[in-house]
Amino acid sequence: MNCLQIHKAGIASSVQDNGRVGTLNIGIPPSGAMDPTALLSGQHQLGHHDNEAAIEMAYADFAATVSEAHHVVVTGAPVRLSINQQHVTSEGAHRIEAGQTLEIKATNEGVYSYLHLSGGVMTTPQLDSRSTSPREGIGGLDGCFLKDGDILPLSAPDRTVLAADPQLSIRKPNTVLELRVVAGFQFSDFTDEAIKGLLAEEFTVTARANRMGVALNGARLHSGIASLYSEATCYGAIQVPPDGNPIILLNDRQTVGGYPKPGAVIRSDCLRLAQSRPGQRVRFALCSPDEADRIGWLEQHYLETRLRDAR
Amino acid sequence: MVFELGPAGEGAMRLVFTEVPQPALTRALLEIENRARQRFGSTLTDSVIGYTTLTLFFSASNLERDRTEAWLREQADAISLVGHPAHEHSAADLVLPVLYHPSVAPDLEWLADDRGLGINDVIALHSEATYFAYATGFAPGFCYLGTLPEALQTPRLDTPRATVPAGAVAIADAQTAVYPCESPGGWRLIGACPEPLFNLNNSPPSLLNVGATVRFEPINEADFRALGGVIP
Repeated sequence: MNCLQIHKAGIASSVQDNGRVGTLNIGIPPSGAMDPTALLSGQHQLGHHDNEAAIEMAYADFAATVSEAHHVVVTGAPVRLSINQQHVTSEGAHRIEAGQTLEIKATNEGVYSYLHLSGGVMTTPQLDSRSTSPREGIGGLDGCFLKDGDILPLSAPDRTVLAADPQLSIRKPNTVLELRVVAGFQFSDFTDEAIKGLLAEEFTVTARANRMGVALNGARLHSGIASLYSEATCYGAIQVPPDGNPIILLNDRQTVGGYPKPGAVIRSDCLRLAQSRPGQRVRFALCSPDEADRIGWLEQHYLETRLRDAR
Repeated sequence: MVFELGPAGEGAMRLVFTEVPQPALTRALLEIENRARQRFGSTLTDSVIGYTTLTLFFSASNLERDRTEAWLREQADAISLVGHPAHEHSAADLVLPVLYHPSVAPDLEWLADDRGLGINDVIALHSEATYFAYATGFAPGFCYLGTLPEALQTPRLDTPRATVPAGAVAIADAQTAVYPCESPGGWRLIGACPEPLFNLNNSPPSLLNVGATVRFEPINEADFRALGGVIP
């Protein structure tokens, strides 16, 4: 069998593609790559067109051996890459021969990196996606984060058509990352003081950050809202639990929740937040719903243009 | 009915009725959800019903907010709770077998003591009511069921358990539920249901879905084991 033998998986590595659509009403989050732009870049460079799955690594510390020759690309947070203990540039595609070992180590920037192998990871899709939802035990390899010793099935790499790197990487955020927010949910029920705190104060990313969400530290936001009927969450929702420290909900969030939410961070800024390390300073700024939709549309258009030009 | 419409982040809209949760309201939300699926087709990628809310998620850049909002307003205006019969206590769509016994229900004796009831009274109160499924979430196949008889209503544990086994029958405030899979959980555990509640190979994968009515039927240990239940 054509496979990847994992020697060292690292703290939170999992099989991810673009994630699931249409499963929120059965309580299953979308999951998918935390940095979908990085995923798309790698898929493109290897000539993948069917949403082939890659291995997502948080703070990469990964080592594995391929059973057959493949092309590989690493995207997302910058890494140090070696093939058979030879250091190679982490940019662009490399050919790795059967029996050779890849080592990928995080640098001091960003969080999520993606290892793409030509043909893609061939675990069995569930609900039309190979993405791992660890809490639900769905997708990936047995629904779990990857462990040392795991063997991942790979596709035959016979379709490889290498394309130029379209340079989709997210730029390093500024000293203070601005998170644009669409007001909504309980925005008008929050106390004036809490809204003022949200929009005027600076927050920092804490170590309580994972695929479910990113907890921030800063002004305590006391919503003044006593109880709430459980309702849908959304990607980027700013959830404010009783301790007043906001949590930005991301890919593996629970699909419903009962904590008050003054709004949601737009997609484009969530990607940057997901790639931010603890200590990153952030600020919130209001953005109209129409503007948010327009930014979403423009970024999509930009990606398509870059991909077309790099072909 | 009084309602509000607003965004739920980029590409999503939220309808909330400012009413107390009730089966007629949930049925109205289901009706609007159904019409939205017909109206918007595949551009509507997801929809989620909460106790008093319907949230619609659209594929990127396919949401025309003004038109969608106007359409939703029309639907919400036309909905009245009249014509949606109140929930009948007679027949439930689904009957779930439950073993109510301390060996599978660590909070059963505590609850009885706390309320000055016998364990049999707790069982009778929990299993005589018919419950309505208001929302799905927390975990795949986890359905929020109401309304729990007042005599049993109790707050969540201060510290959630790290592990609640699959099938645990639980209560919290005015709600009851069955944990479909092993997970952490803060609800009080008063029984165990041997029937699987979630299976990806079924369509729909969840046994319990929003709008369903359900009743619990006490069973003995032998039946529990025969139905596949495991006593630790």
